[in-house]
Amino acid sequence: MTKKTRYFMGGSAAVLVAGLGTGLVAFYGAGFPSLSASRSGPSELSYVPAESAVVAFANVREVMDSQLRQRLKLVLPQEQGQQEFKEHTGIDIERDIDYIVAAATRIPAANGSAEPSGLVIARGQFNTKMLEDLAVQHGGVIEEYKGKKLIKSTGVPRDAELDASGAGTVVRRRHEPIALAFLEFGLVGIGSEAAIKSAIDAQLTAHSITSNNEMMELIADIDMGNNAWAVGRFDAIASQAKLPPEIASKLPAIKTFAAMTHIDGGITGTLRAETRDNQSADNLRQVVQGLMALGRMTNDPKATALMNSLQLSGSGKTVALSFAVPSEVLDMIPQQIKKDGGHLHELPKQLHER
Amino acid sequence: MAEPTNRPIPKAPGFLASSLRVFDLSVSEMLWSRRTIFMALVVGAPVLISLVLRLLDALGAPVFRVNGMMMAGPAIFGLMIWVFYLRFTVPVLGVFYGTSLIADEVEDKTITYLFTRPIPKGAVLVGKYLAYLACTFFVVLPSVVIVYLCIVPMRGSLGASFLDLLKDLTLLAIGLAVYGAVFAFIGARFKRPLLVGLIFIFGWEQAALAFPGYLKKFTVAYYLQAMVPHAMPNDNVISLIQGIFRESPGLVESLIWLAVILAVFLWGAAVSVERKEYVLEQ
Repeated sequence: MTKKTRYFMGGSAAVLVAGLGTGLVAFYGAGFPSLSASRSGPSELSYVPAESAVVAFANVREVMDSQLRQRLKLVLPQEQGQQEFKEHTGIDIERDIDYIVAAATRIPAANGSAEPSGLVIARGQFNTKMLEDLAVQHGGVIEEYKGKKLIKSTGVPRDAELDASGAGTVVRRRHEPIALAFLEFGLVGIGSEAAIKSAIDAQLTAHSITSNNEMMELIADIDMGNNAWAVGRFDAIASQAKLPPEIASKLPAIKTFAAMTHIDGGITGTLRAETRDNQSADNLRQVVQGLMALGRMTNDPKATALMNSLQLSGSGKTVALSFAVPSEVLDMIPQQIKKDGGHLHELPKQLHER
Repeated sequence: MAEPTNRPIPKAPGFLASSLRVFDLSVSEMLWSRRTIFMALVVGAPVLISLVLRLLDALGAPVFRVNGMMMAGPAIFGLMIWVFYLRFTVPVLGVFYGTSLIADEVEDKTITYLFTRPIPKGAVLVGKYLAYLACTFFVVLPSVVIVYLCIVPMRGSLGASFLDLLKDLTLLAIGLAVYGAVFAFIGARFKRPLLVGLIFIFGWEQAALAFPGYLKKFTVAYYLQAMVPHAMPNDNVISLIQGIFRESPGLVESLIWLAVILAVFLWGAAVSVERKEYVLEQ
């Protein structure tokens, strides 16, 4: 190797190291996210605000392509709503949406409090022009926020007044206008205007859920092998729900929860809860065991079979309840419908009559 | 009269040592060849464009407004990774360098000098392949970093896009390695390797990705594009069709198949060089 080559390679390596070093400093400067945890989950998590209490993910494409879905399509009547949605928006839910990320977050209000708000981020193929036109036709207003296009609805309903506790204490809940934002090419965000703006800020400032180690560790645990999942901080949800103290005090001391499922030929899933201490976990396990025993006492063989598929596990502070519905069981559903000579769309009516 | 000394014949170096020896010999030759001018142009274009965009943006020109929408730096960076690097630079450099690993020595009639050395013939190819990797990595990857530093801070955050940069650098390195192995095989096996290579990347790969079915599994791009952290652009009709029929294999599946392709083609190339008899035209 000549000296000239060595100098060139040294220079190239220096550029590479300098660039990576700058990026690394910026990465750690934005909330010191855990490197291992941040690698988990979809990249759209960078739009989920760090203080979100619940984060959920669904791989729509995988679910739509699953054997279960294909089987259901054979027996279910033509989905009229889905067709109408496609005609209006140009979005074919079956093909155009790859996956969605949803979050329940809190938006800081002017008075120092924080309002609960929802956010849905969808990755797929969207006809931007058609969506814009549709929104404008329905009175939507287009504006820009930090380089991203926002479509806001103008028909804002009046603020609601709720008597949550029943004791005459009226809680005033603000109704934010719904907004749709084109966050990136093939990525849209839907939610309240404040939630959308908060998502854009989270991404730009790198202060997203990826910098929340507790949540990212939960996501890292369940991300692999599941096509739908949700994780959350139970304490945050309980506080947001503004439950009466009598009910709130009776809730189990759950710190975090995670729900995950894999849908293909059958459905498998797990609900997992992390309690504050071992004692709370033992109590929760006993409660769940009691409920399962109660379920098995019924004479209905189908319910008994379903209860038998449940498995309670976990140690220490963790309580996990797993279930598995094999494809053979799901195969029985359409057969049963055909045997009865009924149609699936008549089921709601039958249920209503019961 | 002095007696003739029985000097022991030195042991021939092993495969790895031979490869490293050939690498050391070839890297400078490859780096300072005429081909590097082409590589500099290919890799320099996105750097130049990003510098110009940065300048125009600083001057307040609305260069990032697409359909009335202001594009953010990370989105443009993602677009550049797709358009400049993944779809063009990586396969094209793979073709130009990969196919020439042995072909150049044959053309220059210097392959005899390498083959008369007491080293395995396959080691010559592997050593030259390593030199190709060094040349391309040290040119392509720094240019990606420069583009990242120029483009991403415009309405974006360096920190938020850092993981994407790492993914991009990794997948570009994997792409260069896999395409290099494929075209090294083509270069060692076929008579007109450059033509075959260009047909492969601009004909076969483009067509296979645009059709539904399993054909796309016989391309490198199918596995490589599955790992890109940025959204695929629909910048032309072919891209649009490819987007419609796009299926993404999982990360682990992609990595396994890319590793298999690399190993099989590099081994195939080494075996071809070992067995083939190169006849130099007078």
